[in-house]
Parts: sequence; C-alpha cells; structure tokens
Amino acid sequence: MIKQLSVFVQNEIGSLAGVTTVLKDNNINLKAIASFDTPEFAILRIVVDQPEKAKKFLSESGFAVKMTEAVAVELEDKPGALDGMLHVIAEAKLGVNYIYSIVLRSGKAPLMIINTDDLARTAKVLREKRYSVAEQEDLES
Amino acid sequence: MIWNETKECMSREEINKLQSARLKKMVDRVYHNVEFYRKKMQQMGVEPGDINGIEDLNKLPFTTKNDLRDNYPFQLFAVPQSEIVRVHASSGTTGKATVVGYTRKDIEVWQECVARVLAMDGVGPLDKIQIAYGYGLFTGGLGLHYGAENLGATVIPMSTGNTQKLITMMLDFEATAIACTPSYLLHIAETIQEAGQVDNIKLKVAICGAEPWTENMRKEIEAKLHIKAYDIYGLSEIMGPGVAADCEYHKGLHVYEDHFIPEIINPETLEPCKEGEVGELVFTTITKEALPLFRYRTRDLTSITYDKCECGRTLARISRFKGRSDDMLIIRGVNVFPSQVEAALLEVSETSPHYLLIVDRINNLDVLEVQVEVEERFFSDEIKKLESLTKKIAHVLQSAIGLSVKVTLVEPKTIQRSEGKAKRVIDKRKLI
Repeated sequence: MIKQLSVFVQNEIGSLAGVTTVLKDNNINLKAIASFDTPEFAILRIVVDQPEKAKKFLSESGFAVKMTEAVAVELEDKPGALDGMLHVIAEAKLGVNYIYSIVLRSGKAPLMIINTDDLARTAKVLREKRYSVAEQEDLES
Repeated sequence: MIWNETKECMSREEINKLQSARLKKMVDRVYHNVEFYRKKMQQMGVEPGDINGIEDLNKLPFTTKNDLRDNYPFQLFAVPQSEIVRVHASSGTTGKATVVGYTRKDIEVWQECVARVLAMDGVGPLDKIQIAYGYGLFTGGLGLHYGAENLGATVIPMSTGNTQKLITMMLDFEATAIACTPSYLLHIAETIQEAGQVDNIKLKVAICGAEPWTENMRKEIEAKLHIKAYDIYGLSEIMGPGVAADCEYHKGLHVYEDHFIPEIINPETLEPCKEGEVGELVFTTITKEALPLFRYRTRDLTSITYDKCECGRTLARISRFKGRSDDMLIIRGVNVFPSQVEAALLEVSETSPHYLLIVDRINNLDVLEVQVEVEERFFSDEIKKLESLTKKIAHVLQSAIGLSVKVTLVEPKTIQRSEGKAKRVIDKRKLI
C-alpha cells in the first residue's frame, strides 16, 4: 500500500501551480499526479517521496489535504497488462473509484494506482494472482 | 384616474387633522390591548393622553423587526383571534417568520389602497391583469389579487414559476396588465422577444415591486414591451404592497397618508430628517386593527416631499429607495439576511462559519451563490462525498431562506477575514 495526498483545489487559473510551488519550495519530489474536475472544484491527487512532510507543508500553506492509502500495482509494459489486472479486480466484485499511473520509475515496471472501496482486499486479490503490489518505501528514492 | 379623490387630494391641513384624530384613537386602543406597547410607553413615561396629534408622534416608541420576532407569533395583535381573518408571514432573521394579521376591515383597507394604485396607473374594470407574484404567505400575490378584484378588473391569478404558461395566457386572454417583480418582468420580456411575440401582446401596463429597481430598469421594461411600468411599494409589517406607489410622472411614490404616517429619521441619532433629506423611512399605522404598529423602522433609506404632485394628488411622496440601513438583501422579492445564512450553515456540521454571499442578476433573474470554505477536517477525497455535501448545504439553505441557492466550495482561508465587521455580501446587481 502506498500513501497518496488529495488536495482540494478550486477550478481556477493557477490553482494547481499553487500546490506544486509548495512542493518545489520544500524539495519534495512528485511521483504521480492526477486531477479529476467538476465544474467548480477539483481534487488533485499526488504521490510524493515524502508524504508526511508534503502534507504538513501543504496544510500550513492553507490547503485542505487528506492523506489516504492506495494500492499501487506493478504492470508489465505490454498490451493487455492493465486489462488483466482490472479483470482480477472486477471478478472480486470490487469497484474502481479512480485509477492513475506512475510511468517513470528508473528501470522498474510502471505502477498503476488504484482506489476501491476495499483497499486491503484489492491488494490481497492482486497478490493472489501474483501481481506485485508496491509499498511506500518503494517510492522513496 | 384618481380612485378616491376625497382621500388622495386633501389639503395638508385636512391630512394632518385626519391623521391626528386617527392617531389619538389608535394610541388609546393599542395602549389598552397590546401589552408590549403598554409596557414600552410606561417605561418612557408616556400615557395615551399625552398624544394629542401628529406633533406628539415622536413621543411614541419605535418598533423594529426584532420586536415582531420577540412577540412571535401573535402577541402584538390588538384584537381577539376571532376577529383575525388572515395571516401572512415573511422569513425572519433567524429562521422564525415575521407573522402579520388582518381583520376583515384591514383587508378592506388593503384592497382599497391597491385599487388606488391600479387606478392611478391606468388599470380599470375593462382590464385583464395577470398577478405574477407568489401566492401564499407572501403578501404580493393575494395583496394585488384582492386590490384588482376590488377595482373590478379581471384577475388572472398566475402566481410565479411557469413563464411559458404566463406568456401563452397573456396572448390568448389578451391580458392588458401585469403585476410582478421588475426582474421577473424583464425575464418575461426577453422570453416574449425571443419568441417574436412583442407585437402580438395586448399588454399596456405593469405594476412592479417587492424588490428595489432602478429608473433604467423601468425604461428598459417600457422599451422592450412598449408598455408603461410603475413602482409599487409595501411591506407586510405595515400592510403589504400598496403602502405607496408612483404615478405617471414618476416623481416619487405617493404614500397613503390617511392610513400610514411616514417619517424620515436619521438611523444613527433617530432624530427626524428635514424634508428632502435622505434617512430611514418609518411608518405608524393609524387604521390597522389587527397589527397596529408605532413608528416601525423599515430600514429603507429614502427622502420625502410634501409638495403637491403634477397628477393632482397631495399625498406625501417618497423618493426611489437609496439602499438599506441594515444588511438585508432582497432577492427575487424574498428578504434575506446574511445572519439567516450563517445560522443555517451552523446546522451543517461539516462546514466552517466562513461564507460569502454573491448576489448577481443573470438573464434578469437574481441568483444567489453561497461560497463555503472546505475545512481540512471535513474534506473528503471523494468527489461524490463533496458533491453530496454541496447538495446538503444547498438544501439546508433553501429551506431556511426560501430561495434556491448555488453552493460553491472554495479552498480554506480564501474568504476574506476582516477585522471588525466581516464582508459577507457581494451584490453585483446595480440597483441603486
């Protein structure tokens, strides 16, 4: 299981840059980023090398931040890899709330970050099918 | 046409004499029937015998909206409940409504006043009038309705909410008059224009009120629909629509002084203003049976003139309103206090008390947006939860203030904090 930060941002010019500036100023490395918008606001989800520190600095800068866990699964870089994994989740009757990816991992396989209503069981079913589920330490480089 | 020449064209001397006699009678009746006023007068050392005419008006205590709320619902009524034939209510500042009552005679006075307004503005028995104010607890719908029936016009009780049906009936019934809020009429006008039906309507006059509007809006309505538009003023505490209205010269609103004594005071010092000076409008009712009020502070800012109008009426005229001496907003004819929004937000546990009201007029309809800060401890990282929070806040606000509200969640600490009085309202409508 890895740690993910969700940040509330208004749908406004420069609002994402406001978040990344805080990360840059505190020398925090972004590993993955995804933003899902509604007409008025967005939730920016990020994975970083130092999540606790990032949360502290973002909160201090006035952002509403929530630290949650997510399942990160290694995928082979070949056609059908994601399809196979999603079928494992679907067959376990788990719904995917959202999914995004870390592609660059200096030589290692890309990671898919998945949120479901039952993260522990999601990790379990994937491991049973011999998927490699990453931990936060795997991202701290 | 002048509906009641005897009353609308009296000399100043006759008006003062009539007001003095009616005031004296009313003070005596109120003192003996309303505990609230008796106590207030006793505290001030004033007895009914001290009030001999309108020159003694300033010996009487003021009444505020809070007094009505503190005496909720019926404690200020001066007659037994058996004599009350109707109540109306408007939303109060903290959720409790302001309740007003009428005897049969009060309803008669009301429909007389509204008939005077309609006659002054060119409506008569041959006209068909669409009443497009809300019917119900709000005084707009039923107030205009009874007045128009009293006049003998054909009343089409549309109420609000279905513009297409209103326009269809305006065309099919060949309606010649309409009564509604000015912003709603502009919306209706644009819908008629878009349908290319301006030349097919038979409308000639509109009686607009229940919200502040400008001279420019009046001209815009007149130009769009090729009609005459008039301003009608009132407030439920005093009666409802028909306390004052303007004539074809549009030089202020004539106050029906045989029923209501207007005063203009400085809202800070409470001292009377000079003729023509802007201050807060205060009314004393002199014929009301159910809910007589002494020196009710309307919070509306205006000035007064006692000069005879070119139309022949001698009644005092109040100028177009210059604003309010409190923070009340009038949105789509509904009175909204920021404190109501605050109280409602406190009921929703997942919000912070920081909010901002943004009132705008989009396509001639007032829109109320409430911005609420998302606090970190309530922040969910699931969009569906934030959306259901937005819906919940909108629902709570709507039931509290009686208006649909657009709720926008904003980042923490983005709503301006100010020392002293917080800036809670941005009114983008240009009404004054």
